Amino acid sequence: MQYSIGDVPAQLTGIDITIVLTYMVGVFILGSFFGRYVNSAGDFFVAGKALPFWAIGMSVVVTDIGATDFIATAGAGYTYGIAAANFDWMGSMPAMVFAAFLFVPYYWRAGVFTIPEFLGRRYNAAVQIIHATIWGIFLIVMLAVMLWLTAQMLNTIVGWDVYVCIWLIVAITGIYTFSGGLNAVVMTDVVQLVIMFIGGIALSVIAVHESGGLMAMQEKILAMPGKEHHMTLLLPQDSGSPYPWSGIIFGLGIVMATGYMAGNQAVVQRTLGARSEWDAKGGMLFAGFLKVFIPLMVIVPGLAAIVLLPPMENGDQAVPTMIREVLPPGLRGLMFAALMAALMSSVDSTLNSATTIWSSDIIAKIRQLLTGKSMPDKTLLIIGRTLTVVFIITAGLGAPLLEGKEAMYNFIQTALSMFQGPVFAILLLGILWRKTTQWGGLAGLVLGVCFTTILNNTDGIFPSDDPFLYVAWWSFVFSIIVTVLVSLVTPQDSDEKVRGMIFGQVMQDGKLQRVLKERANGGE
Amino acid sequence: MENESFFNAVFQGPLQALFHPINNTIGSIDNVNVWKACAFLLFVLPMLWVWFGLRKEYVNLDAPKEGILYDLRVWTVLAMIPHVFFYLVYGA
Repeated sequence: MQYSIGDVPAQLTGIDITIVLTYMVGVFILGSFFGRYVNSAGDFFVAGKALPFWAIGMSVVVTDIGATDFIATAGAGYTYGIAAANFDWMGSMPAMVFAAFLFVPYYWRAGVFTIPEFLGRRYNAAVQIIHATIWGIFLIVMLAVMLWLTAQMLNTIVGWDVYVCIWLIVAITGIYTFSGGLNAVVMTDVVQLVIMFIGGIALSVIAVHESGGLMAMQEKILAMPGKEHHMTLLLPQDSGSPYPWSGIIFGLGIVMATGYMAGNQAVVQRTLGARSEWDAKGGMLFAGFLKVFIPLMVIVPGLAAIVLLPPMENGDQAVPTMIREVLPPGLRGLMFAALMAALMSSVDSTLNSATTIWSSDIIAKIRQLLTGKSMPDKTLLIIGRTLTVVFIITAGLGAPLLEGKEAMYNFIQTALSMFQGPVFAILLLGILWRKTTQWGGLAGLVLGVCFTTILNNTDGIFPSDDPFLYVAWWSFVFSIIVTVLVSLVTPQDSDEKVRGMIFGQVMQDGKLQRVLKERANGGE
Repeated sequence: MENESFFNAVFQGPLQALFHPINNTIGSIDNVNVWKACAFLLFVLPMLWVWFGLRKEYVNLDAPKEGILYDLRVWTVLAMIPHVFFYLVYGA
């Protein structure tokens, strides 16, 4: 059967609307419930260190998948085939193993709230504030971009007013994030992941069934002209795709993925809230396992669209059209709820991470530098909650300003990827190499970002029109070289400063392990 | 656009001289088995590292109970297997 493409929004029936409203009210009540457990900054920012592995794993996955990714990844599957799945497979599991057993235990034992705070302890305040400011600004802009793009997408799919969509999401996610902090964010994420999986897998199963089954779908796609690589994960360097094998393995698998899993505040914050180190590690592994299923529910509908729909110029139309044409009433509402879940989970995580960074790494750090005193816990909690309100309302007001600037999403993604290579380089060296100095770290970060900017703005260097994978790899290599060279010619940091921060020390020193564990449990 | 022309004018020549030989060398590897082997290594090496490179006590520190169900080395392998399967079937 062939379906049509059109701009007519899908009609939600009574049962669809009931499902969506039940979902929204349920998430709101669940999230707000956790407000009663927030009595300190630690409760608000790292959930009082009480999160079990399964909640961490589910939250990490759902934080990573936004509604726009749902559409864009399916679009990439439609245009480039299953090579787009590399981002959830090779771009996740190996990196999550390294994050689980190399980075997470150190963040966790150090008892920190944020990645910049860790960088501040290992290097210096300049590295902490530069990193925090970059992330703090990008996270707020990302909030507005996510709200605008998803509201537009929902308007296209079901015809809901853009402003109603924006302020509905602002109100629901803002209130429960304000009230319950990371605990509310993670527990609502758990529900949202279940909704996302049910909706996404339902769409995939029906789409494959309509295509005549999995094998028939594959055969039909491979028989089409120009789609001979559509069922291949590793593509030749000259395939014209932005995902050539060398970029996927070096740029994505080694640098971008590990940098993301080990250096993204939204991901790492969940593991810092673990009830034990075992839960922190197990949460990352569980997340890696769950990521296996993401392409099955996101990319498969994009592939089925090749068979079921007439050719489209823009692959991003694939999922909205499939939802409208293929899903029956009831499941359409469920899929709509799944898209809302994908959006809300990304918005609440971004919001919570932005407030954590601004509170702990910028406001509290600057106060400490100026007065020499730490921020009192209650004051930090009040600042965190105030910033939650300020940021979500600012994002809601700023979202409509992005009308006509949809390319902003790609710009932000590219800009964020500029920092992953350099930040990953100084994280890795800081943990593994005792001789890395604070000045080496600062030079590696600043010069690495400069080098990435040059690579991103100079044409004709790499064999791809969109060479972000190569840029990530080479900026990582460049930052490693700079950090090592500068560290070798600058004064070594004292033993006391780096105590508990180096992998080899912590692995071999049982007494130090006990001290760190006490510190992580609030014993310092 | 002005930015791009500035960057192209200043950096394109030296960067092309540096990166084009590397790109050409990598591009000349057209054996799909090499690509697959690299992909498998990316999955297998972390498994070997967790099993043989790290102490069991470090991997399972704070585990709620002893036993295979709570052994994160086993979790690592179980979580990796589906990924390896997909690269085996759809790798290249």
